[in-house]
Amino acid sequence: MSAFTISRRTVLAGSAALLASTAMPVIGRAQTPKRGGRLVVAADSEPRNLNPAIVASNGVFFISSKVVETLAEASFDGKDGLQPRLALSWEGAADGLSVTFKLRDGVKWHDGKPFSSADVAFSALQLWKPLQNLGRTVFKDLSTVETPDELTAVFKFAKPTPFQLIRNALPALSSVVPKHVYENGKIEENPANNAPVGTGPYRFAEYKAGQYYRLAKNADYWGKDEPYLDEIVYQVLPDRTSAAAALEAEEIQLAAFSAVPLADLDRISKVPGLKVITKGYEGLTYQLVVEINHRRKELADLKVRQAIAHAIDKDFVVKTIFLGYAATATGPVPKNDPQFYTADVPTYAFDVAKANALLDEAGYKKGPDGNRFSLKLLPAPYFNETKQFGDYLRQALAAVGIDAELVNNDSPAHIKAVYTDHAFDLAVGPPVFRGDPAISTTILVQSGIPDGVPFSNQGGYKNAELDALIAKASETLDTTARTELYKEFQKKVAADLPLINVAEWSFISVARDTVGNIANNPRWAVSNWADTYLAG
Amino acid sequence: MSRLHRFLRSPEAIAGTAILALLFAMALTAPLLFPGDPQAIAGPALLPPFQDWSLPLGTDRLGRDVLAELFHGARTSLAVGLSAAGAALLIGAVVGTLAGFAGGLIDEVLMRITDAFQTVPGFLLALAFVSIVGPSLGVVVAAIALGAWTGPARVARAEVLSIRERDYVAGARVIGMHPLEIAFREVLPNALPPVLALSSVIVAAAILTEAALSFLGLGDPNRVTWGAMIAEGRAVLRTTPFLSIIPGIALVLTVLGVYLAGEGVVETTAVRRSLS
Amino acid sequence: MTRALALIRRRLVGSVFVLSIVIIGTFLLLEAAPGDAVDAYIVSTGGDAGLIEVLRHRWGLDQSELTRLANYLWALCHLDLGQSVTFSRPIRDIILERLPTTLILMGSATALSFGLGSALGIYAGAKPGSFRDRFLSIGSLALYAVPGFWLGLVLIVVFAVDLRWLPIGGIETIASAKTGLSRAADIATHLVLPVSALGFIYLALYLRMMRAGMAEAWRQDFVLAARARGLSRRRIVLAHVARNALLPLITMLGLQSAQTLGGSVVIESVFAVPGLGRLAQEAVAGRDTPLLLGIILTSAVLVIVINLLVDLAYALLDPRVGASEAGA
Repeated sequence: MSAFTISRRTVLAGSAALLASTAMPVIGRAQTPKRGGRLVVAADSEPRNLNPAIVASNGVFFISSKVVETLAEASFDGKDGLQPRLALSWEGAADGLSVTFKLRDGVKWHDGKPFSSADVAFSALQLWKPLQNLGRTVFKDLSTVETPDELTAVFKFAKPTPFQLIRNALPALSSVVPKHVYENGKIEENPANNAPVGTGPYRFAEYKAGQYYRLAKNADYWGKDEPYLDEIVYQVLPDRTSAAAALEAEEIQLAAFSAVPLADLDRISKVPGLKVITKGYEGLTYQLVVEINHRRKELADLKVRQAIAHAIDKDFVVKTIFLGYAATATGPVPKNDPQFYTADVPTYAFDVAKANALLDEAGYKKGPDGNRFSLKLLPAPYFNETKQFGDYLRQALAAVGIDAELVNNDSPAHIKAVYTDHAFDLAVGPPVFRGDPAISTTILVQSGIPDGVPFSNQGGYKNAELDALIAKASETLDTTARTELYKEFQKKVAADLPLINVAEWSFISVARDTVGNIANNPRWAVSNWADTYLAG
Repeated sequence: MSRLHRFLRSPEAIAGTAILALLFAMALTAPLLFPGDPQAIAGPALLPPFQDWSLPLGTDRLGRDVLAELFHGARTSLAVGLSAAGAALLIGAVVGTLAGFAGGLIDEVLMRITDAFQTVPGFLLALAFVSIVGPSLGVVVAAIALGAWTGPARVARAEVLSIRERDYVAGARVIGMHPLEIAFREVLPNALPPVLALSSVIVAAAILTEAALSFLGLGDPNRVTWGAMIAEGRAVLRTTPFLSIIPGIALVLTVLGVYLAGEGVVETTAVRRSLS
Repeated sequence: MTRALALIRRRLVGSVFVLSIVIIGTFLLLEAAPGDAVDAYIVSTGGDAGLIEVLRHRWGLDQSELTRLANYLWALCHLDLGQSVTFSRPIRDIILERLPTTLILMGSATALSFGLGSALGIYAGAKPGSFRDRFLSIGSLALYAVPGFWLGLVLIVVFAVDLRWLPIGGIETIASAKTGLSRAADIATHLVLPVSALGFIYLALYLRMMRAGMAEAWRQDFVLAARARGLSRRRIVLAHVARNALLPLITMLGLQSAQTLGGSVVIESVFAVPGLGRLAQEAVAGRDTPLLLGIILTSAVLVIVINLLVDLAYALLDPRVGASEAGA
């Protein structure tokens, strides 16, 4: 057990190596799984729409991934980092125009009706492609889904689509919902969006707004002997300090997604009966990024951007703000990504003198008050750490003579200010890396995106060469060639700094010792928990 | 016996005044004792108090000097409290005097508006207002004043109603003073003492509202306030309680000081009024 | 009795005016907000331009402000509070679900601060200037000066985590299927900490007001007369001094009702109580204009009703009535 009640040092930096090791043991004690029991989990927000086929986001998955399953799930040791769920195998055609899925036999929906390829076709064509936040991009060229038999679904694309992308998108984007529940009436208004029906190990039982969600065991689940738990209850705890208190008071047994603040982890790891787990989020890496508005003439100057990159002490950020539970970043792909990451990019060491020299060179001399120019800095309010980094960045910029004024907005105001009104000079954002740069990473630097699209390049950055590279990678079918193009992409971004990647972090879980089979896949918190159990 | 004498005979009033004097001293000396940005990173993070004498009260999550923040926080907290109370009293006194003096339709309309503001929870209004306009010190002050002016308005109106029929007001009418002039030069000054008596409560409430807004993440990030310090310290309440206790004590003392001194003033004037 | 009826009628007429100011004011305030419900929604999901346009259309946000205000008011005339965009449920149902919780929380907290505050105020004011008088008024003031969220967190750490006497939050044991008395006891246990946190903050208001009122009443003629008649001190304190000092407290009760709802925003968040205060905060954060309007409208109606009751109570306890009875 001590291997996972970690000290501060062994965190993300090591996770790439861990991914490579196939000897990854089932996490938890060497005890036999026990049946029954209610697992109570902290939830800090209440997603309104629980349909993961429409809203592919971690907040929704956290609850509904236990109810609605995907075609495949991420895996530490499976081929291509995947393990089968509703699909047993997937095969891409060489021309990139079709992908064939063989589906699992004997699967039943929670209402007793059999699951078949028609459900997959319906989900893909009626939900993922037209309605899903991420699927609208990845499946944009999907034209039809053929169902030669009950257990085969063949996705046909109008334009060649890299199989690697489809594969990487499976864990997050391929939630299958029942056709018979959704085929009548408007899909967006279907009551099942709030009380999902799926094939998963748990059925959706009830939701009491402001209090809890309850999931109950699905006795007809296809997994042998699974699930172990009788119930999962998500207790809504809106205040960030209450999850730790609830764990200590033994009112809950698990707090995922860093519901326990980082600053409290050291203390709580010493509380008898509690364990701190840093694994199980490798597939959900968040990136700490300084977004730059290139419309400001100072920031349009590469030298100024380089100076800002040199002014940031990434080690300080990792050590003080993330208390070691993060890794410094080199570019737009996180270090722990097993397929695309390259360390071979220009880097910017913390060097105040060099930053000052670069700013002088760029022609922005210090005025009599020691300031070169003033900026508006908008830290995203979603995480404590993004706000704290905003406080830090203001100080770091002051050290090189840039006067930054912090603007504190709530979430909708921040989204509007940055992505629609472009009323910022610098912003601090936490984009998510979703296993493939084409899903939600290239959009951060690509030009030509309409105003108002969140988590995209709204800084007015335009680089034809980079755009061409992104376009080429999106239609390159060969996996090796495509990977190489994304390595090139990382180099270009790190060199031209359309934005500055500072750090990468994942979340931390805190659980009681009795909770078994935690963190046994790279998206554990948002996977189906079929094998999770409560001992003793 | 002079008013000052009587004031000085009350131990509460003296304690209150002493606390306030100390606060003002902190606020005024902050830029001299702690020049530069109090939010600058001064040392290792989460240094406990009394370990390093260059950082007597230790450091916070990012390594900022807690003592410097405390001194600079005195400035902002007092500024927020006093300006919010000043604005609330001003709006309240003007609205109340107008309503009470004019009577009729104007009174009716003004009092219904007062009712409307009073039926909406002040904190909710402040919360909505700050989320919408964006948190800066001025907006926070305005938001607090917006929810706090109704009390003074009601008191002022009641007071004005009772004195507008007095002899000197009638006298002013006879010599042909403009009604507005009578309202603001003759009536308002006499109606003011009970309105001002509310000021200590409003100052205290303003400082607390600012703290609660900071707790919800709606403080001005460019300024140090005690409320923000407490709000930030709560995440490490269990491991480093001093981070929220130190500004907490400062906040409690300030509110006590304001209240006690205010009470002393009210009592002295009340005795004078009942004697006259 | 006719006086009471006239009062009620006058109040109702005034209320319509007050409520319209509240509704239109709140609507305009929210319209001025940067970011709308769609912006709030896509924070957690992301989405492309087409999706955002579809959402704006579906939630009616592509209509003009005036149209939406008119639609809202028209629906309101039919007692329809509309549909929440974030919950996609009728607002009336959501509010009715949360209202009892908030009423219990606010009612108990007010009862605590009013009851304990006035009792301690009587105790302190019976001997103005004594040690206990000073101790109680300064002590309660110190409580008033503690930020509510901080008091709440400390209470949780002490009573829920360290001593484990009480639950850390929520309104009842989750998914427990308790009914009847055992459920009531369960809810009561859950309410101890939030009610204390909310109630102790406002304790000082009532305590000091009671005390001040009593100090004033000691000087009044009828108290002097009672003293002259040789009534016992205890009797004078309770029957004359305290009774007289109670009146402004009751007025305060009315004025304070709205503020308690504001205070409960933070307390409900700290203690995870599913009440209106937290819902209001969520509505602001989610830019759910109709929901926030519904909440503010509900709270305004609540405040108006409470103040009406206060006025009626005031009429019953009129000091002149009291004084004449005492004199008879």
